[in-house]
Amino acid sequence: MDLLLDGFATALTPENLLFATLGVLLGTAVGVLPGIGPAMALALLLPVTYSVGPDSAIIMFAGIYYGGMYGGSTTSILLNTPGESSSVITAIEGNKMAKAGRAAQALATAAIGSFVAGTIATVLLWVLVPRVADIVVQLGAPSYFAIMLLAFFAVTMVLGSSKLRGFISLFLGLAIAMIGTQTGQARLTFDQPLLADGIDIVVVAVAIFAIGEALWVAAHLRRKPLEIIPVGQPWMSRSDWRRSWKPWLRGTAYGFPFGALPAGGAEVPTFLSYATEKKLSKHPEEFGKGAIEGVAGPEAANNASAAGTLLPLLTLGLPTTATAAVMLSAFEGYGIQPGPQLLDAEPGLVWGLLASLVIANALLLLINLPMAPLWAKLLRVPRPQLYAGILFFACLGAYTVNFQAFDLGLLLALGLLGLAMRRFALPVLPLIVAVILGPRLELQLTEALTISQGDVSTLWSEPVAIIVYALMALLAFVMGVGALRRRATETIIASRATESESDVEHESDVEQKESHR
Amino acid sequence: MSGDGTAAATTSPAGGAVDKAQYGMAGFLVLVGGYVLWDASTLTEGFADQPVHAYTFPYAIGAVLVALGVALAVATARGDRPQADDGEDVDLSQGTDLRTLGLLVAVLVGTMLTIDWLGWAITGALLFTGATWALGSRTWVRNLAVGTALSIGSWYGFYVGLGVPIPAGILDGVL
Amino acid sequence: MNTPITDGPVVVAYAPDKFGRAALDHGVALARRDGVPLIIVNDTRGDAYVDKRFAGDEELATLERELSADGLTVSVRHDLVQDVAEAVVAVADAEAASLVVVGVRRRTAVGKALLGSVAQRVILDARCPVLAVKPD
Repeated sequence: MDLLLDGFATALTPENLLFATLGVLLGTAVGVLPGIGPAMALALLLPVTYSVGPDSAIIMFAGIYYGGMYGGSTTSILLNTPGESSSVITAIEGNKMAKAGRAAQALATAAIGSFVAGTIATVLLWVLVPRVADIVVQLGAPSYFAIMLLAFFAVTMVLGSSKLRGFISLFLGLAIAMIGTQTGQARLTFDQPLLADGIDIVVVAVAIFAIGEALWVAAHLRRKPLEIIPVGQPWMSRSDWRRSWKPWLRGTAYGFPFGALPAGGAEVPTFLSYATEKKLSKHPEEFGKGAIEGVAGPEAANNASAAGTLLPLLTLGLPTTATAAVMLSAFEGYGIQPGPQLLDAEPGLVWGLLASLVIANALLLLINLPMAPLWAKLLRVPRPQLYAGILFFACLGAYTVNFQAFDLGLLLALGLLGLAMRRFALPVLPLIVAVILGPRLELQLTEALTISQGDVSTLWSEPVAIIVYALMALLAFVMGVGALRRRATETIIASRATESESDVEHESDVEQKESHR
Repeated sequence: MSGDGTAAATTSPAGGAVDKAQYGMAGFLVLVGGYVLWDASTLTEGFADQPVHAYTFPYAIGAVLVALGVALAVATARGDRPQADDGEDVDLSQGTDLRTLGLLVAVLVGTMLTIDWLGWAITGALLFTGATWALGSRTWVRNLAVGTALSIGSWYGFYVGLGVPIPAGILDGVL
Repeated sequence: MNTPITDGPVVVAYAPDKFGRAALDHGVALARRDGVPLIIVNDTRGDAYVDKRFAGDEELATLERELSADGLTVSVRHDLVQDVAEAVVAVADAEAASLVVVGVRRRTAVGKALLGSVAQRVILDARCPVLAVKPD
């Protein structure tokens, strides 16, 4: 408790409050703007870690992370363009509400639901982070090696749709991680002295998330403007509140565990929440035509899941989303080892972050409810300037690492790799996780085997390691079943939605329709 | 695999035929894997009692990359098609705009080549202006003004705000 | 008011704001008076996610229906173009228009220096008479 109060003391200093405000403003902006997500925004901001203190930077990053979620729901509702698969439901149900003249209520239930879910999830983090950290802090190298394998397994096998592509991305990342002379010998350096220290994670993150994405979007720019639904100040009537609060709580209950598990992701809980609300609603006939429960529940689930991903990140150093992976690289930039020792080594930082999450949430509610119409104006930014700006800040970020033109070359090469990965549907998360964790995986294995003097059986000598390997086996099983079930759920939702009203369709169909118009 | 999903079929631009470009990706993987293997073979034994040698990981990674490249080629031949990345601002119904892409790459190469000589303040402004031009904007006076403001602003922002002095290039002493 | 010399159609550069509506009102009145067809042009470069001067499909369809209900020959151009001013001039040329109607707004000195005005370029480039209308 004292630590939490200290955390608030850290988070409430004027300087950190300023960074939190900056973070939520930037986060909302990138959430609203098409083409920039929170992961890209964080990657572009990594250079600030060179001189801003770790607590301020991490607090700002957390604000961006949460803010991206709020801003994303605004565009989903007003434009029917889900930026991520986790906001597909918000886009369907929320855009229907908006078209029926209830945009203000849809925005309000999404924002307040996100606030409720985010706050509850943050309190859960306060309770769980120290408990989990206590358990994992005693782990030895073999267990830690197993946990890192679990991280690779989770981001590769569980979160993507294609295992083959997940592995390709993972091993490309491992190959990048090998570059340099960490082991005393030059590996994969092409005899280039500038590669002796390996490729800086900032360059990799900026290249993959910013350059790759900007080039990919530039090659497939949507040319037709979308019709935006004009909106006033978000508000809700008494009956909207009555219909929203239970879905918020249920959505939170779905979202947090899914986010907290390494095999999580925000997509499944939003679908589960939607299905539940439809079943429990007194107005099932409204679903597919703009039911407020269908926005409230999934949005809460989405946000609670986002908060949940911080649990494995802070206790184990495992990122399960792209944004979490970039946050992890920020830790690395400060020389802070994320992992079991993090809470022990940096209690002030972790508690400052945990306290600032509540502050970020409150700030987001404040700036999003009254200012939603203002944020929608951001959508008028012309694309050439927007994407040119992304390239500008990407080059600036990569150049400031070492002031080497060579890094800009690397940036371009890896950016083209990022472009190819998007073209061939290779997920970027395994690659970035492999680049971050690859060297540490090698280190832990070396350490474990050095202690056991080369006896490989040491790898499963610790109970936690055995549990983790068992967990991986279990996950592999659950994943097989889950994949089938998820596919079934999606089909059901899609078919029901099409039944109830002909023009509710899947994301891709909607886009095709737009392009044919 | 994603190729069996129905979703993959709906977004494929042409439909039907094998995605030949994906053979290129497979070839790239084999090439990278091969290079990693070759590089590993040039590494020497460390200490004899060292349990994990410098080449242990590279050998494993290189071998797996080659295998994955072959697997991707086989999957491609069997009709596996990637479900290209979708996004808020992406319109996959049209083909790839190679001209814009090529121009942007050229702008980035230009940035890399001129940055040591011209410094960030000038190169950054040219980068922004060039990129907006490549992306189809024709209000180049405005773009140059915005780009200059951005690059000089970011130079001073890093210098004053973050205490990071970015080399000024030929403007050394002027800024 | 301007009297069309030929009996070519009247082209209106339209946008869903008071300037566009002012242009449209005058265009409609002139087309009715002279018994010539009306062409509504509402194009966009499509380089922003949302363009407030690009009308919705429904809005234009309603407009077309209402105007053609009492005998006026109306056609609508609603396209993605490289350059909006050029597109308006091109339509006027192709249809041998008797008159182009544009809505104009007041601009600040900075605005004049930095922003290219569609109305200004239409006025300079069009080969037929151009009527510049200000909203009341």
